[in-house]
Order: sequence, then structure tokens, then C-alpha cells
Amino acid sequence: MRPFAHFAPRSLDEALDIFRREGEGGRPLAGGTDLVVQLKEGGHKFPYPRYLVSLRRLPELRALGWHEEQGLRLGAGLTMAEVASNDWVRQRYPALADGAGLVGSRQTMNMATVGGNVCNAAPSADTAPPLLALEAQARIVGPQGERLLPLEEFWLGPGETVLRHGELLTEFLLPPPLPRSASLYRRHTPRQQMDIAVVGVAVAVALDDGGRTLKKVRIALGAVAPTPIRARRAEAALEGQAPSPEAIARAAAIAQEEARPISDVRGSAALRRHLVGVMTERLLREAIERARRG
Amino acid sequence: MARETLERPRFRHVGRPVDRIDATAKVTGQTVYGDDLRLPRLLHVKLVHAPVAHARIRRIGASKALAVPGVEAVLTAADLPPHRTNPDARAQVLLASDEVLFYGQPVAAVLARDPYTAAYARDLVEVEYEELPAVVDPLEAMRDDAPLARTGAIRDADRSEEQGHITVEAQQEQAQSHPSNVSSSITFRRGDVEAGFAEADAVVEGTWRSSMVHQSYIEPHVIIADYDASGELSIWSSTQAPFHVRHEVARTLGLPEARVRVTATEVGGGFGGKIYLYEPLVAALAMAVRRPVKLTMSRREDMLAATPAPQAVVQLKAGMKADGTLVALQARVIYDAGAFPGAPVLPGCLLIGGSYKCPNLDIQGFEVLTNKVSVGALRAPGAPHVAFALESAMDMLAQRLELDPLEVRLKNAVEKGDPLPSGQPYPAIGLKECLEAIARTDIWRERRRIRQHPHRGVGLAVGGWLGGLQPASATVGLNADGTINVTVGAADITGTNTSFAQIAAEELNLPLEMVSVVTGDTRTAPYAGMSAGSKTTYTVGRAVKLAAEDARQQILAIASQRLEVPAEELEMQDGVVRARGQPEKQVTFRELGRLTTGFGARYAPIVGRGAITARRQAPGFTAQVAEVEVDPDTGQVTVLRYAVAQDVGFAINPKSVEGQMQGGAAQGLGIALFEEMVYDEKGRLLNPNLLDYRLPTARDVPPIEAIIVEVPSEEGPYGARIVGEPSIVPGPAAVANAVADAVGARVFEAPLTPERVLRALGKLRD
Repeated sequence: MRPFAHFAPRSLDEALDIFRREGEGGRPLAGGTDLVVQLKEGGHKFPYPRYLVSLRRLPELRALGWHEEQGLRLGAGLTMAEVASNDWVRQRYPALADGAGLVGSRQTMNMATVGGNVCNAAPSADTAPPLLALEAQARIVGPQGERLLPLEEFWLGPGETVLRHGELLTEFLLPPPLPRSASLYRRHTPRQQMDIAVVGVAVAVALDDGGRTLKKVRIALGAVAPTPIRARRAEAALEGQAPSPEAIARAAAIAQEEARPISDVRGSAALRRHLVGVMTERLLREAIERARRG
Repeated sequence: MARETLERPRFRHVGRPVDRIDATAKVTGQTVYGDDLRLPRLLHVKLVHAPVAHARIRRIGASKALAVPGVEAVLTAADLPPHRTNPDARAQVLLASDEVLFYGQPVAAVLARDPYTAAYARDLVEVEYEELPAVVDPLEAMRDDAPLARTGAIRDADRSEEQGHITVEAQQEQAQSHPSNVSSSITFRRGDVEAGFAEADAVVEGTWRSSMVHQSYIEPHVIIADYDASGELSIWSSTQAPFHVRHEVARTLGLPEARVRVTATEVGGGFGGKIYLYEPLVAALAMAVRRPVKLTMSRREDMLAATPAPQAVVQLKAGMKADGTLVALQARVIYDAGAFPGAPVLPGCLLIGGSYKCPNLDIQGFEVLTNKVSVGALRAPGAPHVAFALESAMDMLAQRLELDPLEVRLKNAVEKGDPLPSGQPYPAIGLKECLEAIARTDIWRERRRIRQHPHRGVGLAVGGWLGGLQPASATVGLNADGTINVTVGAADITGTNTSFAQIAAEELNLPLEMVSVVTGDTRTAPYAGMSAGSKTTYTVGRAVKLAAEDARQQILAIASQRLEVPAEELEMQDGVVRARGQPEKQVTFRELGRLTTGFGARYAPIVGRGAITARRQAPGFTAQVAEVEVDPDTGQVTVLRYAVAQDVGFAINPKSVEGQMQGGAAQGLGIALFEEMVYDEKGRLLNPNLLDYRLPTARDVPPIEAIIVEVPSEEGPYGARIVGEPSIVPGPAAVANAVADAVGARVFEAPLTPERVLRALGKLRD
């Protein structure tokens, strides 16, 4: 570990001021469960920072509220443990509770934040597919003011986001779930816990009033492309259709085609593509079953 | 805890489960480990690890690193004090001087006032490399046209570690005359293997691959060395083998052993991987800078540059008659030693041909050099690799002949008198008894019902280990207050000091609390061999027993004089010696302590001495059974239940024996399912961390039923035999057999990752 400066602002404005004043070479520090390890191990995901700005004391990053029409406001600084145990999340956005409840160990979950997980921009991030499937928007605050961005547009590649110098991701906005809907996230890992997704799949489905056709389908995939992605063609193939086993299998096969996996130490491209099919099919079935039960 | 026990006398302490005497300190975090130690003027070292697998070093530039405030020195091989080097012995190549032989090999040392400064400056050391072709795969390395892993032939391979683990008499042939990556080979033949296959009713063959795995002790290597002004070298090391370290360091640095003091700090896990490695280097650095030097390796450094366990390829052909008689075994066993010799070819060859009676054997073993980190011991080194092949083949034969896999093993299992491939006969062993114990487990008895589940199955495998032999000694002293001190020289890595306390308390008929056991350093402790090869209780335990008996005789002799009663008429209990039938005639240990230690004491101190030489092995066998569920679509294997039966001769402390059995079985499941060091085609390790190198977590290991089997050894204390190592051996084979039973697909490569299971099921297209 090399020397660096550490700032601990107490408000969002103060944090933005520090970035403005100190200039390039700084990085925000949230839970630190990835960043600090990178610093210690001399990782090469990013240039070694000259300074860190801790986000732990910023109240603006801890928003948490539910509104019938607007949905859920979820501060980027909430920890995985807080997200996974939140009742609004568990009842209305279960895929996100699934994902947040899988990140690392209990200790990791108590430190890591949902914003950090997203800004880290790992293709395998466990909260990313759930947030994509749940159509989250990201609020970004920076020197030029504020903007709201569909999360799908947030990532540019492994470790790369649209955030410019001095910009911070402050919160997520999740639209309210439709009636007769359900969402789920599962990942494939060789171990039962303390692992990283070889493939992650999130689905969110809503049935029509009669429960006979799929009104809305969202499928998001992790660790099978340079960024977490939506399987839009697979979604389109199912929407408006009756959820027959054949239609589900067809959608899963399309999702497989939409995946662009690579081979690495965690698994081959062939394995990942295979698992996208298996898992998408299983998750769609389970989610539809849950949506039916209501 | 179940126990299959023969008739034996009742004991007060030995054979009873007790908590480890160091348990509370360990679980409360109070135990002092090597990294906790500080010395005045201490410097911290970080090593510059080569980022290439095979290269010539052109230049090392240290000026930028030296400019960092707090950096005291940057040393290369040329800067070290004069020392013996042997290019064939890993620990004697202190720093690479010319040729880098593996990715991660240390080429320079940065010494600084704190480890963070040293690590920062380390990245500023500039090394120019001229890359050479690297050879990574052992089979490719064996080809005639393969690039050589190193220039210069192997002349003086260091096999001391292997000897510590398994002591057998067999000649290993050195490398051929022409340059080759095969650094040694070995052949065992018996009968006529072709005739054996001709009379067989079923013949199976296959090639089994096992991956390179790491011991993954919780505590990475930690060493402190201090060379003081009077020429005394002190070393604190997290080593299993303090006397071995002393010998090797003294020899390498040209110091008398009498001037080298090695203290084995509490070992935070070793599993064979902490014998000796960087002690000569750290000592040389301390001598160079005349200040104490500390090396604490990070997880990454340890995974790059310690001594993991080898990758192996086992080609096996086996023939069996319709009645289940094994008639022929032909094997080619290839171990990848990495960049230095030292792979466990000999034990592998002995065990693949020495687990079952077989009249016709043709076994060839090869040790192959590659440009990877050189290997060391890991719990029964080499044995899981061959058991994976042999035990898979036994199931394949049983299936082919429609025989019960347990009955087939029972029919052929080795027993007392059967020869190893080397011809050496087995002493009393308990392989059959272990199989019989497994036959009585719930998992085995319920296997037909389990199989009705479409994706569940049961797999059985056996394994064994022959064990190391080294002499040992111990002393037992009586303190002024009547308590007892036992002093040994063996590092306690498995709870052996607790067993020694039980032995001493047994022989002196004392409450356990009156006995204290200490592991001394090499200047104060009586000699003991390395705590490796499963032999610590088997050898040092005997010495402790003798020393306690000796102390008992000395105590009785003095008591006899004091009480004017012949020693034969005295009895000893709870620290009191009394005349049988005359309770008023008694003398306490406390009084005897005063009489042998006080001012003007009448008698010489009580010092019991025990010294033994160990020449007879007491091999340990185990049979294990797994119940698994396989997800046929994801390839995921879940072990639902597991049982281990192991012959331990006599369990002095059943609690720690059970822990050893479960711990080894858990490690076996790790190498069966998860663990694998992955190298790319240029010889770079891709997963030097515990995220991508996966150890099983608590949720990946089911409850493990431990069944202690006791077939007494001929020489061990109370009949005890080796315990630590056998339990790791059958894991990969038991799981592979269970997977085959569950879904009909046989996997020939460990670990059985989802990818390999899916490929075996034919479900992955490329």
C-alpha cells in the first residue's frame, strides 16, 4: 500500500467540493470491500489513487423510502445487509434482496454498499442484474448538477462507468412493481457461499389481470458480457405470450444467444452460455409460479 | 463418535477424549503467532517475485527503491553473505541469481522499517528479464522436443522433506544422461502383467488428472532471523520441523548447529507445507544487514512462492477376474515437481500398487520438471492422486463384473504380511476393518434407497499412508511443587502436546492438570524429527512414555529410601507414593520435589529421559463413503453426508483423532470439488487468492461421521499408529464414485467442477 490522502466529508456538497478542489486522481470510498483490497494487493483495475473521499458520513446517500406511485428510493450508501433485510425490498423487490444477500461474507455485507457494488462495475456484481430487471434508475450528482439515468446506460465496460470526475451516484429509484408480479435473482457459483458469480440471472415478470399471459418480462444477466446486460430479445419473445414451457424454453435459448461470455479462471464461455439457458429457464418458471400465487 | 475397539486394558487418561490444552488460548485469539513477535531494530522484508516463469535476469536496478524513505537495503543474490548453494535444492537457491525458473520466484529482497514501505519499494525495483521458453504442462514437458525447464541437469536433488513424510527403502533413479525434464523415475514390477490381463474377465483403463493444490494454512509463512554480535543465529519460524530447519540453515550458511537456535512458533496450519523454505534466505539477510529481519508473506505471495502440492497424471489399467480377484495393475504415474525436484513419486508408486493384493504389477513413476513453483508435501503427499485413479478403477471393475464395490475391496484389501511393490511386507494394518466399519454406516446401508432419487448416489473409496520414521527424545522433570514438566522438541501441529500430557499423566498416575508440556527450541529441547509424516505421537509419544517411566523409577527409588519400603511394594497415585497396605507410609510428589530441588537438597533432581529410534512403520488406512446429489443441468455436486472410518491403532485422544479424521476428510472434499491452482500457457498463476482458489466453506462440507477403528500397531505407544495424513486420501475418488453412481457419468479430472461434470454428462458444446 502506498501513501494517499483520506477525506471524510459530512455532506454531499462537501464531498463534491473536495473532488473539485483536489482535482484528478481521487476515488470515492464506500464500503471499501473491493477498493481497500485492491490498494493492499496492488490490483490493476484502476490507477492508484492520490486521494480517497469517504462517503460513509454522507446522509444524502442513505435515503430509503417507499411511495405507492413513485416506488422505492434506495440510497447508494446503504449496505448489503441493510438492503437485504429491508421489508420493502424483501416484499416488493425480492430479486434485489436475493442479490444483496449473496455478496461475500456477513462481514462483507455489513460494509459493502449497493452503490459501491454498482460503481465498481464488475460484470459479476450481484446487485446489478436485480437492479436492471427491476428497471432501476440511478441519480447522479456532480459539478454540473444532477441527472437521472436508466441503470442500463450506467456501465461502459468492466470497471468503467459513465461517472465523470467529481460525480457521485447518490441513489436508485425503482418503479413500483405491477400487480401479479414477482422477481428473483440466482447465481451460479461452485461453492455455496463466499463466492463470485460465474453467471448471475435476474428475472422480473408480471402477469395480466387474468393471469394467462405475460404482461411484462425483464431478464438481466451478470458475468456473461463486459457489463451486466438485459436480454431484451428474450424478454420480447415472452411478453404478451402465454407462459408455456415451450415459450419459456425458447426465451431461455434466446437469452443464451444474447450472452457474450468470455472464458476466464472462473469458467469457460461454453459453461457460461450453457448456464444462462438453464438458469433463465428455471428462474422464469419459478417467477411465473410466484406471480401466479401473488 | 463411534469406535471399533479391540479388547484392551482400562486406562485413566489415554484413550479418553480431552480438550486440547491450548484450545482456549486459540479460540480466544490469545495465542502468539510468529507475526505477533517484535524485536528491537527489526527490519521487514518483502521479496521481489519474478513476473515471468522462465527468464534470464539481465539487470536489477534498486536506486528508485532505495530512494524511498524507510528503505534500508535492497539485496540481490550477489549481495548475500557467502553460503552453500545447490541449484537443485529450492531452499538453497536463496534468490534467483541468473535464471528465473518459476513465476513468483524471489529475485531480490527489499528491507525496510515497516512492511508497507517494503512492499511499496518492492514495486520500484527494476528487473530486466530476457524471457526463455516456459514449459508448463507435465506431459508436454516429457516430450523429446519440449523446451527444458532449466539449464543444467539435476545432480543433487533434496528429498529430505519426502523422507520425513514417508520413510521407505527404495532406490529412485536420477535423471537420464541426455538433457530432459524428467528428473527422476522409478519402476516396480511383480509377476507378469500381460499374463494377468490375459486371465482377467474385465479390464478397465483411464487417465486421471489431479490439479495442483495449495495447503492453504490460515497463517502464511512467517520467519524472523537475528544474527547477534556474538555470532549466534536465532530463528523464529512457523515451521513443523525446527531441528530440520536448524540443520539446513547451519549447513547452508556454514554455521555450527550449536550456534543456531530455531524456535518453532505456533504453527497456524502447516499440512506439510511448513517444513523449511525461506529460513536460509531470511537468516542470510539478517547476517548481511546485522539486524533482525522478519518475513511475513501475504496470501498472494504464499500462493505464488511457497510449496504447494503437485499436479499429477495417472494412467492406469487394471484387470479383475469374474470372482472379484484383482489380477493385474499397470500404471504410469507422473508428478509435476515444478521447477525443483521433490515430487512424491515414490509414495505414489508404492500406494497405487500397495493398497490391494495383486500378483502382477507394472508401475512406472516419473518426476517431471516444469516452470511452475516447486512442490512440497501436503498431507499424504502424492496419495490422493493415485487413489483417485485406483479407487475409480476399482468401482469401474466392480460395475463391469456386477459385483459389490465394498465386497470387491474387502476381497483384495492388503493385510499383514502382504508385500508393498517394493517387496517390504506390511505389519498389522486395519484396511479390512475400516471397510467393515463403513459397511455398517447409514449411508452405505441406505444406498439402494438413496439411488432411487434420480440424481443422488453413494461412492466409496479407501486410501492409506505409510508414515515417516525419525528418532525422538523427551524429558520428564519433577518440579519443586510436585508438578511435572514434559519437554519435547516436536512442533505441536495437531494437538500432540495434549496427547503427551495424557501419556505422562497415565504413566505417573496423576491428574492431567499436574502435567505441563512444552515444546522447547532447538537449543533447549531434546531432539525430535519433523512433525510430519503422521509420526509425532507414534515416535515422540513413545519417547515421552519412556521418559515418564524413567521418572517414575527415579521417584520410586527415592521414595523407597525415604519410606524404607522396597520399590516393588510402592504405589503411586495423584502425586502420592505410598507403601501398599501401609497407608501411613507415604511421601508426596511435593515433598519429593523439595527433596530434589531445594537448597542443600539430599537427592539429585528427577529427570526422566526417553529416547527412541523408530524403524518400523505403522501404516494407517481409511475407508470413506460419500452421499452426493448432482444437478445434472448445472453440474453442481453437493455432498450430503460423509463418513470416515480410519484405523488409528489406538486413539490416545479420541477428540483430536476425530478432528484429524474430519479435517483431512474436509480437505479431501476440497480437492475433490473446488481446489485448483490455475496456470496460463506462459506459466503465470491466475488465481493467487482465496476467492478464485476456492476452499470449501462450512456450508460446503456436510457433517462428517468419524468412526475410529483400532488395530494396534506393534511399536506405537499403547498401540497407537499414524493418524494425521490418511484421511485426506480417498476424498476425490469417493466423490467421483458417488457422482458416477448418481448420474452415470465418470469424471477423470479433479476437482470435479461443474464444468467437468457437465462435460462428462455430454452437456457442454464448445
